[in-house]
Amino acid sequence: MNIFLEEETSSLNLYFLSPSPEVHPCTCHFLLKETNKQLTLMVSISVVRCLVYPAQRAFHASAVLRRVSNETKQEPMPSSSQQHFESHPPGDQPDKESQHSGHSNTDQGGEESQDYESEEQLQHRILTAALEFVPTHGWTADAIAEGAKSLGLSVAAAGMFHNDSSELILHFVSHCNSELSALLKEQQKLVQLGQAEKKKTDQFLRDAVEARLRMLIPYIEKWPQALSILLLPHNIPASLTLLTSMLDEMWHYAGDQSTNINWYTRRAVLAGIYNTTELVMMQDSSPDFEDTWRFLENRVADAMKMGHTAKQVQSTGEALIQGLMGAAVTIKNLSGLNQRR
Amino acid sequence: MAAFIGAAVGRAVCGCRHGQLSSVGRGLFSGARCLAAERETHFGFQTVPETDKGEKVYQVFESVAKKYDIMNDSMSLGIHRLWKDILLHQMNPYPGTQLLDVAGGTGDIAFRFISYIRSQWEHQIKQKLKSHQNVSWQEISKSYQEEELKLPGGSQVVVCDINKEMLKVGKQKAQHLGYSEGLAWVVGNAEELPFNDNKFDVYTIAFGIRNVTHIDQALQEAYRVLKPGGRFLCLEFSQVNNPIISRLYDLYSFQVIPVLGEIIVGDWKSYQYLVESIRCFPAQEEFKALIEDAGFLKVEYQNLTSGIVAIHSGFKL
Repeated sequence: MNIFLEEETSSLNLYFLSPSPEVHPCTCHFLLKETNKQLTLMVSISVVRCLVYPAQRAFHASAVLRRVSNETKQEPMPSSSQQHFESHPPGDQPDKESQHSGHSNTDQGGEESQDYESEEQLQHRILTAALEFVPTHGWTADAIAEGAKSLGLSVAAAGMFHNDSSELILHFVSHCNSELSALLKEQQKLVQLGQAEKKKTDQFLRDAVEARLRMLIPYIEKWPQALSILLLPHNIPASLTLLTSMLDEMWHYAGDQSTNINWYTRRAVLAGIYNTTELVMMQDSSPDFEDTWRFLENRVADAMKMGHTAKQVQSTGEALIQGLMGAAVTIKNLSGLNQRR
Repeated sequence: MAAFIGAAVGRAVCGCRHGQLSSVGRGLFSGARCLAAERETHFGFQTVPETDKGEKVYQVFESVAKKYDIMNDSMSLGIHRLWKDILLHQMNPYPGTQLLDVAGGTGDIAFRFISYIRSQWEHQIKQKLKSHQNVSWQEISKSYQEEELKLPGGSQVVVCDINKEMLKVGKQKAQHLGYSEGLAWVVGNAEELPFNDNKFDVYTIAFGIRNVTHIDQALQEAYRVLKPGGRFLCLEFSQVNNPIISRLYDLYSFQVIPVLGEIIVGDWKSYQYLVESIRCFPAQEEFKALIEDAGFLKVEYQNLTSGIVAIHSGFKL
């Protein structure tokens, strides 16, 4: 139990809120403040419901008891008196809190809601900043170190990531994927609003793949290195997941609703198109990658042709079977097997 | 939620009797043999008053300083070099890194750091030459001149040790090996580092934190002097989990090491202390929790040689 008294109080009135009989108070913080004949009693009660829940679930209630003479003036109220602030060194905490109890608490609360960021968010920030240095340093720990430096962090922060910098590349790929899906969503909205015409599937896929590949242009010099790292055995699961999720997005916005074997073939075909075009792009030296886009167009057309051919084969086969059935019936009739006597 | 309450109560108690609690806690962690009473701590398997431990440790290292490196080689069969190399590989310092090597008296980590930084820098220059074919000769010669004057990228390493004898040995070694640039030697206590806040990129302590009286204070000091984003790295003896290896290891350390100490340095007691203090140091997970308590994030450890030593790493974010 911690009791902090900021000032000497002449009179102390304690109102205790008892939430329910099976709840018993575990930690109570009483922050007492008497200024301008105003006594603000902030009680934050952390209670354990050990009687009700054997798993020792606890909840955290805060209550404010006020006896205010002046209604207009309001004291800030701490949302919870015990903030678990990870980056805060715990050593000298109790002293600090007792020194400026009410204020330090509210400050911490404010910090947590505004500036607090999780480890993952910070890592994302470092990686995003590192992308800027990839064209000069490649997909290396050096780029991450430079990125950390640009954020005002120590260069040693690069040690948080794997040495082969696969995390940087995977971050970049997922970043591009989310950008692409945002773009496709935007386009779909325009179509729904009637401001743009709906593209045909082949045109749509061509544009989507092109848009995605264009995101690689700033890093094209170093992209072969990235691909080689992505293809390392321990990175394959992650890179494959990112690839399939991208293909899913593309097909989703292309309007694919198949639930049969087509679902797989479509994705396989698009994966083939995307990856081969990526390889072509890395060797392309034509202005604005014209050759690449021509290659892409041809491959999409091929795929469409393949789809048509498959359909044609299917319909021809069906027609053939029907014809054969008809012939069989005719033969039966002719031979008199079908006669009823 | 239960954990929340536990932590809350813990902190409340800590506030009242911070110092005492930590020493008792450490005693408990170290097992029954190392159980210590309030205000007392362990010195090997002995229990001594906290105030005496520092002095005793000082005497130990004072007496072994001259033969410290030879003993390390003979006791670990040279493996300690590999451990230190692995530590540097984990650190992977970038040119410009400011390193504080605490308890690094004979400079093993510092020298490795300097050569690592130099090789990194050469690699970077090569990369640059590859990417821009037309680097002028002036630029190249300038980069070499810079290298001669100071460490590339303004890297610096500060070796801090409480023991003057150890530092003396380290300085002699540095002269002998030709390391002089970007290297500073400071006498200082790990519990009260004589440096400003937010000054270093990396803090290393190799085979040193075991001998510090208040480990929690040393960790807090490490947290204080590191820049945001800075890294804490600790190389320290730890617990062997494999029962067979553990048996052999115990046999070796209690039967062979003090004998070696007696033969080579003529000092049985110091090496008896060494092996005992290893047994009293918290195991991997417990030490990890201590580091996290000091405020470090993303704390991880790596066992080397099946846990005879472990590298703990944490970040100040």
